[in-house]
Amino acid sequence: MKGNKRKTLIAYTFIAPNFIGFAVFTLVPLVFALGLSFMKWDGANPMQFAGLDNFARLLKDSTFKRALWNTVAYTAGVVPATLVCSLLLAVLLNQKIRGRNFFRTVSFFPYVASLVAVAAVWNFIFSPTKGPVNGLLNAITGIPYSKLPGWSASKDWALPTAVIFSVWKNMGYYMVIYLAGLQGVNPELYEAAALDGASGRQRFFHVTIPQLAPTSFFVLIMLVISSFKVYDVFINLFAGGDNQLNDATRVLVYQIYNTAFRALEFGYASAISMVLFLIVLCVTLVQFAGGRKLEG
Amino acid sequence: MKSKKILSLIIALAAVLWALSACASGAAPASQATQPPAAPAAADTQAPAAPAKTEAPATEAPATETPATVVKWALWDWDATAYYQPLIDAYKKIRPDVTIETTDLGSADYQTLLQTQLAGGSDLDVLTIKDIPGYSNLVKQNFLEPLDSYIKTASIDTALYGGTTDQIKVNGALYALPFRSDFWIVFYNKDLFDAAGVAYPSNDMSISQYDALARQLTSGDGPDKIYGNHYHTWRSDVQLFGILDGKNTIVDGTYDFLKPYYETILKQQDDGICMDYASLKTASTHYSGVFYNNQVAMMNMGSWFIATQIQKVESGESLSKNWGIVKYPHPDGVPAGTTLGTITSLAVNSSSGVKDAALDFLKFVTGPDGASVIADTGTIPAIKNDDVIASISAIPGFPQDQNSKDALFVTKTYLEMPMHDKSSEIETVLNEEHDSIMTYNKSIDEALASMNTRIAEILAK
Amino acid sequence: MALKTVGKVAIYTLLILIAASMIIPFIWMISSSLKLNKDVFSFPMQWIPENPRWMNYSDIWTKIPLGTFIYNTAKLTVIVTILQVLTSSFAAYAFAKLQFKGRDALFLGYVLTIAVPWQAYMVPQFIIMRHMGLNNTHLAIICLQAFSAFGVFLMRQFYQSIPDELCEAARIDGLSEYGIYAQIMLPLSKPAISTLVIFTFVNTWNDFLGPMIYLTKTELKTVQIGLRMFISQYSSEYGLIMAASVVALLPVLVIFLSLQKYFVQGVATSGLKG
Repeated sequence: MKGNKRKTLIAYTFIAPNFIGFAVFTLVPLVFALGLSFMKWDGANPMQFAGLDNFARLLKDSTFKRALWNTVAYTAGVVPATLVCSLLLAVLLNQKIRGRNFFRTVSFFPYVASLVAVAAVWNFIFSPTKGPVNGLLNAITGIPYSKLPGWSASKDWALPTAVIFSVWKNMGYYMVIYLAGLQGVNPELYEAAALDGASGRQRFFHVTIPQLAPTSFFVLIMLVISSFKVYDVFINLFAGGDNQLNDATRVLVYQIYNTAFRALEFGYASAISMVLFLIVLCVTLVQFAGGRKLEG
Repeated sequence: MKSKKILSLIIALAAVLWALSACASGAAPASQATQPPAAPAAADTQAPAAPAKTEAPATEAPATETPATVVKWALWDWDATAYYQPLIDAYKKIRPDVTIETTDLGSADYQTLLQTQLAGGSDLDVLTIKDIPGYSNLVKQNFLEPLDSYIKTASIDTALYGGTTDQIKVNGALYALPFRSDFWIVFYNKDLFDAAGVAYPSNDMSISQYDALARQLTSGDGPDKIYGNHYHTWRSDVQLFGILDGKNTIVDGTYDFLKPYYETILKQQDDGICMDYASLKTASTHYSGVFYNNQVAMMNMGSWFIATQIQKVESGESLSKNWGIVKYPHPDGVPAGTTLGTITSLAVNSSSGVKDAALDFLKFVTGPDGASVIADTGTIPAIKNDDVIASISAIPGFPQDQNSKDALFVTKTYLEMPMHDKSSEIETVLNEEHDSIMTYNKSIDEALASMNTRIAEILAK
Repeated sequence: MALKTVGKVAIYTLLILIAASMIIPFIWMISSSLKLNKDVFSFPMQWIPENPRWMNYSDIWTKIPLGTFIYNTAKLTVIVTILQVLTSSFAAYAFAKLQFKGRDALFLGYVLTIAVPWQAYMVPQFIIMRHMGLNNTHLAIICLQAFSAFGVFLMRQFYQSIPDELCEAARIDGLSEYGIYAQIMLPLSKPAISTLVIFTFVNTWNDFLGPMIYLTKTELKTVQIGLRMFISQYSSEYGLIMAASVVALLPVLVIFLSLQKYFVQGVATSGLKG
């Protein structure tokens, strides 16, 4: 009993340095902001209690629903694609191949570069009638420009464009996490598997994947959270100079930002944040339950 | 063992850095003194960048024996704006005891940052108002000092502003005074007109004449194509032809009157008379670039572009050296010189500690003295009398033909966004639907119907 | 044999294609950084500018105080990274290897806070910071960035893959928990720490909104705000933006290159044996 108390105390000393800073500067304002979802506040004048009004309004708000739908669709595209691509890339670049350092560095390029700059380049290259990508497609397939994808300018292609862009931009980031995770895999496990006559593929599925479970758990949760929170990518790809998105590209955080700073409805904006928070909570709990099983 | 050493070293290093940063950032003037030896690179660059330093006047403060009044002015684009420093210098001559300190919040996120600063209880005194939606928000949040009683006591003549102050009243009260007032005109490239053998546009041009002219001037194909017209991706470029007849405003809640104008311009886009909106937007194409590169014969744009174009012709970046301006095209039956306007104003923070000084500075900048300082930099001030206009057309590099000079006289100006307590939200919807039409994501009818319903919802709240 | 060669060729082809797609935008960036603003977005695109404007690279230092900005950013980034790595790896040890009451709930809480977008709480946060007198100090950015849930989460996941038996053995040998952290966990987690250093470094280096809100004095501003200074109300100097972006990219690449040697199989496991 006494030992347990001591253990807990020691554990708290480990957590304290990070937690105190975190609590003061992040947790307090964050809890305050979530509490605002029950208030009516314009960001300056005294706030009024609004009960569940903000949430009732959400149910009827068609632009919010549109934003929610776009965000979910985007997440459904980005999460699996990024997970698979970054894992494969990491496994590939964890082998002893020539130019490994070069390939690793290059893969990390898109992530470190400023988003403003790469989004501009991307849009330029994918420009519907003048960009080299459609130029190439037109030359190879002979399909006229009007039938080729309009990429970020078209309502049907906007989300896929965002997905492809995000996978491209963040693949290197998650690859690095996987690379670090791969360094923790005990090589003896591979040797044992090889002795048992396991093929490369079998080793990948029976050694690499289970051994990477904690890493994948992290990657998965971070991917889900960051996809639900997506904002910068959409603003830089689609918004142009006036920071505005349309129905095809509206996402939740954009909705939060607009509601708070343009419409001055901080309470209503917080209600949207609350929805976002609850969605991520559910997804994370499911993953936690699954993760615990994987982690053993 | 080894790792323990490394760890303690890291901790020690962190502690030192922490302490350093705490004292360096805690006391800004002290950090100035300690920085140069630590960062020679920083010291080197500070010298040539001196004009960029916004706190420059602050250094003079300790020298005087009486504590100087410091007025903090929130603005954007300090470096790119010609009139800030001259205004401050001119004011210093009248009020040597007042120091104006500026805070540059950048143009792109100005409104968000200003609102955040004010919500946190910022000590900013004079606030630059970037647009009407932003103004409307600040008034709603009670951040702005009502000016009516001051206008009376200081005997400011609001008639000088040509009616613009009436357009920014909120429930009969005025919270800001304009110091800069731009209006829309048509810029054209004389060489391209000459090459096409078409006569230059006139100062009285209907929208259908404008359309016909653009079609005559379009020629060529591929990279060398000349476009008759250019519309930037802003809503105002297309949508606001619709309000020039004065019969409708953009905050009424019904938008069917915009249909003919969208039809005209979408037809131009289909026919390749102007560049494709989607390409312009995705490629972040700036209107100045296409005009400089002799790719467009005509372009409707705000008068702020005059000063830039003059400067870029001089620097050689603009290849469109032979250019002119004419009055804005208008719907049939509307007098020539009717155009769109956009104003930039000053307001005073209602919780400013030096309200009197702030109001006095506001009076100076928005008054006749400020107007002449602003006009000297090639920018159009809010007070536009004949002298002011003459001084702008006398600037070296301004087109010498009479039409261009006459184009500066406007008959009637409608604000790009009129004052309305929901203007911020309305503008958001208008921008979104404009985008949907121009990218063919919605038909004109669909988008206008959507504007009608969505804005009705906003107005009903 | 032949099959192996075919496989190798396929792998290299794939890698070269991926690398090309990653690198083309940078070539464009460098190419644009040598152009006049009006030519950056003009079609058809010119990969090699006819008259390269090397002036852009000298203009960026004089048009804005880029030197000061880089110094500020470097200072912030180094402090934040050190604090972040220390406090996160410390806290993560408790979450991964110690048993105590409320551990999982607390951890879940930590992770979930990542889910709330910053735009939702930046105003309350700003109000708190101002009350503490941290507005217009670098300390504000340090406090904002140095104690994140992200770092704790990342480190905890890596510690999980280190066998518990190792800690048990050390405990039996009489090492305190602090000793186990310092002498066993830290040396074993080099790849993880490298990862965290890289991410924290990149995030702080590229952070824009935080400095934008908290640092309004020119002498305190950072590189990313500097980049935005080339975008003004009526014009955007893309040639200069690209040149400054290229310059701003270099330190991050140096960090990545110097740390990536730790992503080599065997670092962690050889530690296990030794």
